[in-house]
This record gives sequence, C-alpha cells and structure tokens, in this order.
Amino acid sequence: MTGNGEKKKAAPDDRSFTKELSPLQLIEIDACTQCGECLKYCPVQDVTGNPLISPPEKIRVFREFIKATDGLKARLLGPQHIDRKLLEDFTKAVYECTTCGACGQHCTVGIFTQRLWPMLRKEMVRRGLGPIGPQVNLPKVIGETGNPYNRPAAERFAPWFPEHVKVVDRADIAYYAGCTGAYEATPMVRGDVLVLGAIGEPFTMLPAEDEVCCGFPLFITGQHDMLEDLVSRLVAAYQAKGVKTLLCSCPCCVNIMSRDWPLFYKKELPFRIRHITQFVADAMKNRKLTIRKELRQRLIYHDPCYLSRGVGIMEEPRAVLRGIPGAELLEFDRNRLESRCCGAGGAARKIFSENAIEMGRLTIAEAVEKKADKLVLSCPACYAKVNEAMVGYDKQIEIVDIMELVAKMIEAVDSGTP
Amino acid sequence: MTIILIAIAYLTYAAFWVRLSLHAVVWLRAVRQHATGPSAAPGKPLHASAMTLIDLLLFRRLFASNKPLWLGSWAFHTAFFIVILRHLRYFLEPVPDCIVQVQPFGVFAGYVMAFSLAYVIFLRTVTKTKYVSYQNYIILGLVFLISATGLVMRNYFPPDLVDVKSFVMGLVAMRPAPLPAGFFFSLHFFLVLLLVPFLPFHLFTAPFVAFEARKREFRLDKVMHDR
Repeated sequence: MTGNGEKKKAAPDDRSFTKELSPLQLIEIDACTQCGECLKYCPVQDVTGNPLISPPEKIRVFREFIKATDGLKARLLGPQHIDRKLLEDFTKAVYECTTCGACGQHCTVGIFTQRLWPMLRKEMVRRGLGPIGPQVNLPKVIGETGNPYNRPAAERFAPWFPEHVKVVDRADIAYYAGCTGAYEATPMVRGDVLVLGAIGEPFTMLPAEDEVCCGFPLFITGQHDMLEDLVSRLVAAYQAKGVKTLLCSCPCCVNIMSRDWPLFYKKELPFRIRHITQFVADAMKNRKLTIRKELRQRLIYHDPCYLSRGVGIMEEPRAVLRGIPGAELLEFDRNRLESRCCGAGGAARKIFSENAIEMGRLTIAEAVEKKADKLVLSCPACYAKVNEAMVGYDKQIEIVDIMELVAKMIEAVDSGTP
Repeated sequence: MTIILIAIAYLTYAAFWVRLSLHAVVWLRAVRQHATGPSAAPGKPLHASAMTLIDLLLFRRLFASNKPLWLGSWAFHTAFFIVILRHLRYFLEPVPDCIVQVQPFGVFAGYVMAFSLAYVIFLRTVTKTKYVSYQNYIILGLVFLISATGLVMRNYFPPDLVDVKSFVMGLVAMRPAPLPAGFFFSLHFFLVLLLVPFLPFHLFTAPFVAFEARKREFRLDKVMHDR
C-alpha cells in the first residue's frame, strides 16, 4: 500500500482516533450490532466476498483503535501500541469502499455510513496513512490545474461545448459542468448544455479557468485542507454573476454543494443548488421543453448513489424519461434509495479498478437480463466506468446519459428527423 | 462463595459504570470539537419520534432486511424485556401492581427467550452468514445459558424466593445478605455477572441512532427540494 507522500506525524498528545468524528458518528460506531446484514447490499462484498473489508469489520476494528487511545488502559497507562499492519489494512479497507451508503440504507440500526466512511478516511489522512495511490496527488493537481484529472483549463469546455448554445455573462441561472463530466464524460455535459439551450432560459457559466473542482474528490478522500478555499472561490464567482440557482448534473458535485458547501462557506449559500433533472422536469411540466419524437424503446434508469441516497433526487429523472413519448421505463431490482452502486463511487474506481469493473458489469448484466434497450445513467463517474466495464464484456447494451438522450430527442425534432 | 460472588457483583457494577463513563467522555469531547457549522434543514422531530418508536418496538429495519432473523430477534428482545420486568419483583419492595400483573407473562417469555435464542443461533449457523461476530456468539450463548438456568430453576430446582429477594435487595442496598442455596441460582447469577462486561453498547446507542436516521430520512427530501 502506498501512503501519503507528505506524511504528517501525529503529535503525541494527538493520538485519539476520535478527532475527525462528530458525536453522532462516535455513537453510531457504538451502535453497530455487528449483525452483518449490510454485507448483503455491499457492492464491494459482491465482487470481493471478503468480510475483512466489510462495514461491520471496519467498525469493529475502529472501535479497537478508539479503545487503544481512549480506553481505560490507555487513560491509565497511556495510548496503546497499534500494529502498523493493522492500521494499513484498515486504511486500505476504508479506501476500497465505494462510499455508496447502501450498507447504511439497509443498516438495522440506521447508521449514516455514506458520511461515516469519508470521515474515517479523513482520520487516516490526519494520521499520515491515507489516502492511497494517486489520490495522494489530488491536492497538488487540483491546486495547479483546478481539476483532479491534471488537464488544462483550456480543454475543459472547448472540445465538447456546442457552438450554437449561448451563454450570457450574468443570469439568475448558472450551469456548473464539473470536472468528471467535462473531461471524462463529455457526451453527458454536452447533453446538459444542449437541453439548457433548448429550454431557452438565459444561463451563465464561469470561464473554464474559474470553474474549478467542487471539492468532492478531496472531501471523499479525506483531504479537506483546500475545501474552504475552493468553495469560497466558487461561491464568490457565482455570486458576482448574480446567480440565484446553480445547476449541475454530477451527483457528487450536487451532493457536496448542497450538503457541505454551507459548512465550508460557514453560512447559507447565496443561491440554491438544483440537479439538472429537477430543472428539466420542471421545464417539461411547464411546457418550456417538449419532446415530440417517439422512442419506442425500453429504458432502464440507474440511480446514482449520491443522487438518490445522497440528496433524494429520484423521481425527477424518471419524470424526464416518462416525458419521452413511446419510451417504456424499467427498474432495477434495487432502485431509488436502495440502488446498487455501479462501482464508480468513493474515488476508488481508479485504484481498485477491477472491483469497479466487476460492479459495473453487474449493473450491465441486470439491465441486459431485463431486456432493456438502453441503460440510462445520470452521473459522469458511472458513465465513464460503466462504459469501461462494457469493453470486453460478453453482455452489451447501449449506455446513454439522461441529458444526452433528451438532447438527441430534441435535436432529432429540430433537424426535422421524424 | 457468597463473598466471592458479591465481590464480583460490585466489581462488575463498578466496571460497567466506568465503561459507560469512558464512552460518554469520548462522545462529550467530540461535542466540543464539532460544535460549528450551519444547522441542517429542520426535520419533523415529533413525527420522527413516533416513527422511531415503531422502528424500535417492531425492529422495522431488521424486518425489511431479513424476515426470518427478525422473527427470532424480535421475539428474543421482547421476551428478554418481559423477563427483566418479571425480575423487578426481586428489586422492589413493595412490588408494584404492574410488575405483579406481568409475572405469568414473564414465565411464558422465559420459554420464548430460550427458544428464540436457539432459533437465532441455528439460523446464523445454517444460513452461513458472510460476517461472523464472535462476540455476538458469546453474548447469545451466555444469554441462552442464563435463560436455560432460569427455566431449570423454575421447573426443577426452585430456590427459596424469600432468600433470593433478600439477597438481591441486600446487594442493591449495599448490605449483602447470604447467597440463596442451590447450585443453579449461583450459576444463573454468575452468568448474569459474566454477561455485563459483554453487554453490547448498541443497547444504549441504537435508539438514538435510529431516531437520527428517521430525522435524516425526513430531511432527505428537503436537501434539494425546498431550499
């Protein structure tokens, strides 16, 4: 296992494992009954079958860490020695997790694991044990380029932005493309912009060099140092453009914007955050956007973990898809709050790539089994990874982003295609 | 024997409070560290409380996840609670009427407790659950033995109930009385003392976490729909 390149040595009086956890999270750690029910829903368990990296085992081991630094013996005789290998194995286990939160959704007690795992990662970063692999470089790369992919700002919009869509300088509505969409899932963000253009309400965007990372990759890998700065810069930039509603299609961005930006900004945001499907579903309802072309196909929609369990957006994407004449909407066995991770979450997809590919293939396999014509996604990370998972897989299906699909349906009408 | 068991009882009692206090210290220190940040959107505390009560009384989350296990687990916890109520007659003088009323149910609950535990252990063994918590098996085994010795006393070797009550009341009042005669009472009592250090903390924290989970569920729809 690789460790943090610039390991920070914990001060002797700073050895407690509870520093990064809230009171509720510490109580949650105590509340785990170790029943193991969550393993049935854990996507990492689905593909590894290794209970040593399961949610209850991580909690059990972390309890032991707390005991070693805050238990009776530790208080009387000083912090107990913890085996380095155990710490490293634990760190690997928390980073192998996709942080999808399915374990918490099905927890017999109700532990909010989608939030607990990132905070355990933060604790391991504080101890110089995390993050792992190329995640270590994220702060440096984001600091230098503004995105986690080490790509120049000049390539952020230019390769995919449709020329005919007009972006105004100031508007009530702003669109944030997000790094993964802009660099790794361009059909998705192109679809977003085409649909926004078709709706016709003026919208603004930040220049490519100012639309920096939302902070999610840093947050999810436990590296929080830069977050305040990133959030302040983005909020100030949108505020300067008079924005009242910030639209975004990336579930991870939307999640951190709505849940955590206020914490790092230290007050309520001066604008509201909306997922693009909320905006488009409203536009379809108000007849600002109508899809006339028929699509006689069976569509199956995959709920991204950070959109459904994360921020409760589940019905709007379905409303948009139901607005496509002729389309039949299918459901995965596990859908909405109970959706199964496609493998792309938790910043683990590039380090534990094989796991992610296997998880993506489980999603593809179910979609094929249900005889869907298209697998509809609404997350750039899912989009990138599930497409990758289909390469060399015997089961094949057409993968499409929800806005990419809507944009195609609109373009078909605009261009006169029946 | 009496002195040893009484000494163990007081040590166990003290250790339990030390353990609880250490956990409380950890929680309270965290409260000081994380006291900033805007508050989340308000939930519906009354509604959440009512739903949490249902969650806790009926083990709704376990029901949703694993119905065969729910059956055994719910029966065990309910029976255990009734058995504890029945045992309150040894701790209280005069015995409240409600505790008197619960006595016949307590006997029935004793059987349910033992059988539901055997069922849970059987279920966990035959279904080959992916995750095995050995501490849970120790606890299940201990509680099973406690309930079994209780039933043996009830049916075959009943201790002198007056002696039992004076022993328990003496313990509570810090004026220890002699241990009642009978091997099974001593064993039953010793097993209870042995169980205390293994008492899982979810007994104390799970209700709070379940309440927070309910509030979070109510708030989820507000994260991006109302603000």
